Formats: sequence, C-alpha cells, structure tokens
Amino acid sequence: MKEKTEFLEREYKELEEKGYTWVIRDLLGPSDVHVNVEGKECIMLASNNYLNLANHPKLKEAAMNAIEKYGAGAGSDWSIAGTMDIHQKLYRKIAEFKNTEDAVTFQTGFAVNAGVIPQLVGKGDILISDELNHGSIIDGVRLSKADRAIYSHSNMGELEKVLQDADKKNYRRAIILTDGVFSMDGDIAKMDEICKLAEEYGAMVYVDDAHGEGVLGDGHGIGREFDLEKKIDFQVGTFSKAFGSFGGMLAGSESLIKFAYNTARTWLLSAAFPPHVAAANIAALEVVEEEPERVKKLWDNTRYFKKEIESLGFDTGYSQTPIIPAIVGDSKKAKELAENLYREGIFALAIVFPMVARDKARIRNQMNAGMTREDLDKILSAYEKLSTKLKLV
Amino acid sequence: MTSKIGFIVNPIAGMGGRVGLKGTDGVVKKAEELGAKRVAPFKAEQAVKEFLSMHREEDVKWFTCSNIMGEEELKKAGVEDIEVVYFLKKNREETTADDTKKACKKFLEKNVDLVFFCGGDGTARDIFEVVKDKTPILGIPSGVKMHSGVFGINTSASAKMLHEFVNKRLTIGDVEILDLDEEKYRKGEWNIRIFGVAKGIIEPTYVQVGKTVFKSVSDDEIKDELSEHIADEMNMHPDYLYIFGSGGTIDYIAKKIGVENTLLGIDAVYKKKLVGKDLNEEGLLRVLDKHPKAKVILSPIGAQGFILGRGNLQLSPRVIRRIGLDNIIVVSTPSKLASTPVIRVDTGDKQLDHEFAEKEYMMVVIGYRLSRVVRIQTNNF
Repeated sequence: MKEKTEFLEREYKELEEKGYTWVIRDLLGPSDVHVNVEGKECIMLASNNYLNLANHPKLKEAAMNAIEKYGAGAGSDWSIAGTMDIHQKLYRKIAEFKNTEDAVTFQTGFAVNAGVIPQLVGKGDILISDELNHGSIIDGVRLSKADRAIYSHSNMGELEKVLQDADKKNYRRAIILTDGVFSMDGDIAKMDEICKLAEEYGAMVYVDDAHGEGVLGDGHGIGREFDLEKKIDFQVGTFSKAFGSFGGMLAGSESLIKFAYNTARTWLLSAAFPPHVAAANIAALEVVEEEPERVKKLWDNTRYFKKEIESLGFDTGYSQTPIIPAIVGDSKKAKELAENLYREGIFALAIVFPMVARDKARIRNQMNAGMTREDLDKILSAYEKLSTKLKLV
Repeated sequence: MTSKIGFIVNPIAGMGGRVGLKGTDGVVKKAEELGAKRVAPFKAEQAVKEFLSMHREEDVKWFTCSNIMGEEELKKAGVEDIEVVYFLKKNREETTADDTKKACKKFLEKNVDLVFFCGGDGTARDIFEVVKDKTPILGIPSGVKMHSGVFGINTSASAKMLHEFVNKRLTIGDVEILDLDEEKYRKGEWNIRIFGVAKGIIEPTYVQVGKTVFKSVSDDEIKDELSEHIADEMNMHPDYLYIFGSGGTIDYIAKKIGVENTLLGIDAVYKKKLVGKDLNEEGLLRVLDKHPKAKVILSPIGAQGFILGRGNLQLSPRVIRRIGLDNIIVVSTPSKLASTPVIRVDTGDKQLDHEFAEKEYMMVVIGYRLSRVVRIQTNNF
C-alpha cells in the first residue's frame, strides 16, 4: 500500500519532538525598533532591518507614489512584459551603488543563488564553498552539474589546498563562493585573501553580501569595504535586510547580467516584483547615501552593545558586525533565555543545534541603527538579570 | 518510551596501560604485580552519574551483571531499579571474556536497545562476537587500546552520547571493531586488524530544510551517493584498476556497484569485474604488475580515523608507492568525519608517512561529486 498524506502529520510531529519547528509570532504593525508582537510591546532584536529603513517615511512615500503611477502589480514575467522603466531605473541605481557595470534584480536573494549558480558551471567545473555558506548558496551549488568542494569556515589554508587540487584535475572553471558576512557568527569573509588566491589560481569569486550591505563599506557592502569591487566577479545581495524592503540583486559585468537574464530559470520563470517594491528599493539606496549617519549609528550601537554584553560575561564568538551572538552553551538554555527575554519585552531568536555546534547554542542579537542608548541598556539589563536567574555565565 | 540498556563493566580493562602492557587479557596478575590499579569501575560509575544528571530515571531500564561487572557501579551512581541478568560467582575479583559473552547473550534475550560497556578493544570484540550487528554498542573508553569505532572520546562524551541516543537525537550506523592481536603483539608484531563491522551510535547527517529546520539523512542514503560517485569515477577512467579497501563504507559501495567485496579484506576490480579477492601484499603487487594504472578507495577505519595502518596492513608502503599518493580516493560519510575530524596515516614507513604529512590535507569525498578538505595526521609529528 502506498503512503498518502498521513506522512505530513507524522513527520511534522517528529520535527516537533526534536524541537526543530518554528513558532511563528505575528507582528501587529510595522517592523521597527519597537514592535507589537501579538499584542506585546517589544524591542526587536531579531530582525535584519539593520538601518531601520523598513518603516522609513521616504521608502513608504516612494512605494505609495509608485502604486499611484504603476498600479499594484507588474503583470508578467520580467522577460516577457513585466519590466517597467522603474525596474530599469533600479538596475542602474544598483550598478552605480555597487560600482559595477550593470545589475539586475530577482524576486529574492535565494532566487539569485538558486538560479544563477547552476548556470555558471557544468560538468568539468568546480564550485568551492565555505562550509558555513547560506542555504541558498548550498542549494544553488547542489543544482549544478559541477564538482563541489567544501573548506572549513574561513580557513584560507584549506581553500588553497582545494585550489591546488583543482589545478591538478584540470577543471575548466573554478568559482569560490562565500557569504560576505556569516549570518550565525557575524564574522566577515576574508575577502582580500580569497580574491588573492582566486587570482593566483585562476578562479572566479562569487559573494553573497546579504548581511554586509548597509553595514560594511559605508553601507555599500563588502566590495567597497575591501576596495575589491572590480575583483568580485559575482555580487549578490538583497533589499530585504539593511535596505528595509524586498528583492534580490545581482551586480557585475554587463555580460554577466545579459547572461543571467537569459539563463537563470528563477528569473525567467517568475513574475517581476511589483513596481512599488522597485520604488522603495531605489529610495532605500538614496537614503543610505543621503543619511550616512545611519551606518555610523549602527556601528556605534554595535560597539557599545558588544562591549557591554561581553562585560556581563557573555561570549560573543567571532562577531565583527552588528550580528552579535550571546553564546550560552546548550540548546535548552538558549531557548529558555529567548523565552525569558520575550517576557521582558525583548524579541530575540535562539539559534540551536544543529544550526550551530551542540555546545554553541546562542541568542543572535542583531543591532539596529534606530536603537537608542536607552533601548540598548534595557536589553543589557534584561541580560544581566537573566544571566543570574538562569545561571548562564 | 523507555530505553533498555544492557550495562557491562570489564573491571580489569585498562590495567595494563600504566604498566606498559597492551591489554590485560590473561596477564592480570602481571599487571597487578607491576602496580596496576583498577580504573574501569570508577569510569563506569562516573559515566552513569553524568548520564543520570541529564535524565529522568524512568527513561531507562537497566540490565546488568552482578557485583563488579556492572551492578556495583550502577548502585554507586545512584540507580535503584536494576535487573541483574548475569551472575558472577561470589567474591570473584577477576572476570573473563567468557563472562562478557555470556552476559551479552542474556542481554539479547531481554531485547536491549543498546549494550553500554566500559572497557577496551578486547571488551568491544567480545561483545561484538555475541551481539554481532543486531544491537548497537557504545563504549566508555577504559582499555589500553581503543581503536574501535564504538567508543566516545572520553567518559563524559560517552555519557552524552548515551543521553542523545536515549533522546533519539543520535542514530545508529556502521562502526568497525578493531583489535590488536595481543599474542602477536607481545612477540613484537604490531598487527591491528578489523574484527568486524558493528552497529554504533553516530551523529546523523543533517540537511538544512528551513532556517532552523533540519532533516537527518540516513547513512545508507549517503553511502548510495558515495557509490554513485565511485561508479562515475570508474566510468570516467575505465582503464584503471580499482583497489577496494576494507570496512563497512567501502563494502557498501562495492556491493552497490555489483562487486562481491570482502568486508574485512582488500579486493581489486578491473572494468567492474573482481580480479583479486582478499589480497595480501604479494597478491596486490602481482595484480599491480598486470594493471599498473591503479587507484585505491579507502575510508577512515575505527574511532581515530585511520585510512592506512589500521586494519589494512596489506596496503603496505610498497603497494601504496606503486599506486601513488595522488591515486588514493578517500570516501567517508559526514557522520564519520564528525567523530574523526582528521584522517590518520601510519604506514610504518617514515619516508612515506612524511610524504603524507607534506600534503597536509586530503580531499575526502562525502557525497556525490561533493568533497571536503580534511587534515592528515601522521606519526611523524
């Protein structure tokens, strides 16, 4: 007898028993520093809204005006009849912002990685990937026909060994893929060394800078931070994090963008995103350029919070960015802490095994440029109180 | 659901260690004369204590042996509900392999979910002889030699593994039982062989589904991928001889490809046909004379991740040199690499070990067309 849909409930239960399922909480209102989570006022510590643009008046205004002018939807795939002049305007804006020849947007950052990576390589090529890369890179890599090699996180010695091994095997193409900022530890890819090794061994470089944009390089991302904008062959990003809106982006040479238009199935077979999304995205990049104090404030908050939470005795791991983990050890403790923080009016996410090692479960604290000193002190005093209560440090 | 644990302590395991003997089988007296102390009972008690600190007592039903072979240790650790299924004669200070085996037969009658023991490779071998690959085995390392894949890295790690197993967060997979032939060793011969492939407790391989949602992939699924990878490799180089190493992973791959492989031995395959079965060094050299272009497929063996030097001495330095270091393909399930993050080489030939050491890393195939860099460790440093 073949199995039918009973498996859905059974397999869900198994996930639930292991504690791997999500409890989804509804926000009753905008994503901001102060949020209403199912009726409870909280400080948001779990969003990627680093520059606090999600509820910014200029983005909202741009979106509303675009709805007035263009309507609510694009009506078609980008390739057929969905591309509007406002999309084209956004592409040019991204290219200018990223200092590349050209750019294009996708539905999401995930869609860029899943759609573009498999088209860049085929049999006889190799993709070389950091072990902690985001799941969307992993999926893009899996969908390709190329060989795949993994190196330990940011271990440049290992990366070089893979490149040497790849040289011996005479691959046609090699691409090194990395996150710009790693989302669990908040550390930055060693971009200068990666690009140097790539040059030495004739490999290409692919970076997903989802957590680096708006944060590094005065908000322009990891390319600007390392002055390597022209050395990174494929720059992937998203408008859904620091830029406060929605949609993925790919920036690079003119030929890359033409190639992506015509080969990436996630682009070709999905509808264009609505015109007001494009309008908000353009506004977001403008705000980053016009209000440089936002990036500065984000870093001020980051430095203050990191210093203070460390002085409470919390291990922040390898954090170098506004992602500041508070490592507490086992998964149960991390979950308990997240629940207690919530009761204190702080919305934070526990990251547990198997996302991180069994003894490295943590709360992932994400800074926001809109947080005041008062907000940060409120979070810190909750940590202080709970670390005694839960015997954390 | 309650887990049924068969608990067994080899009270004399590890006594030879401090006094320079490679095991205690048959030489307890000598060990004691040299000043050896009993260490296993204490380690066993510690492991159970640590386990109990993470658990409710009703989660586990303990079956064990009387006196010093488990009962005393459980009691000292604070376990109250104990069912003794094997009785030692009163006042016995020493136990033998025979006691271990008889106790394991009793455990099987009780359908235990796991045999949890404290001892060394010898104890693991005795248990395996009875339970075979029917019941998983987990060891608290307390012997002189702990090459087998059934051990946690220390007392605490074994307790945690038991805890995770009872919570169903660890899974069951193939592990090699290794042993040094003690008789031969005392005569000066270093000969570690694979004794068999048992079921052990392993880290599942997780695949991320959602941001924090993971699915574990069975070891067999991974081994299917490895088989496909090797089949592709053989199709790409049809003119090469392929030498299949020993152990559970390689055996699975060979059988999947359609080769009647020797689980504990070394076989040679040409154009997907077996051209040499269970070969010794001479046999391997002969088949290499006929097919000089060759690759060898190896997988880490036992608890420490040896690819050469444990359980496959037929692959002698002469054989390895003929094949060439670049023609070694190492395959492993990610769960095995999780417990042995380095791969070790001990060929017995200093110069050859040095050549491995100079490579520093090796590419290890962990899935279909998927490999990762793993550090090589040799005895040279």
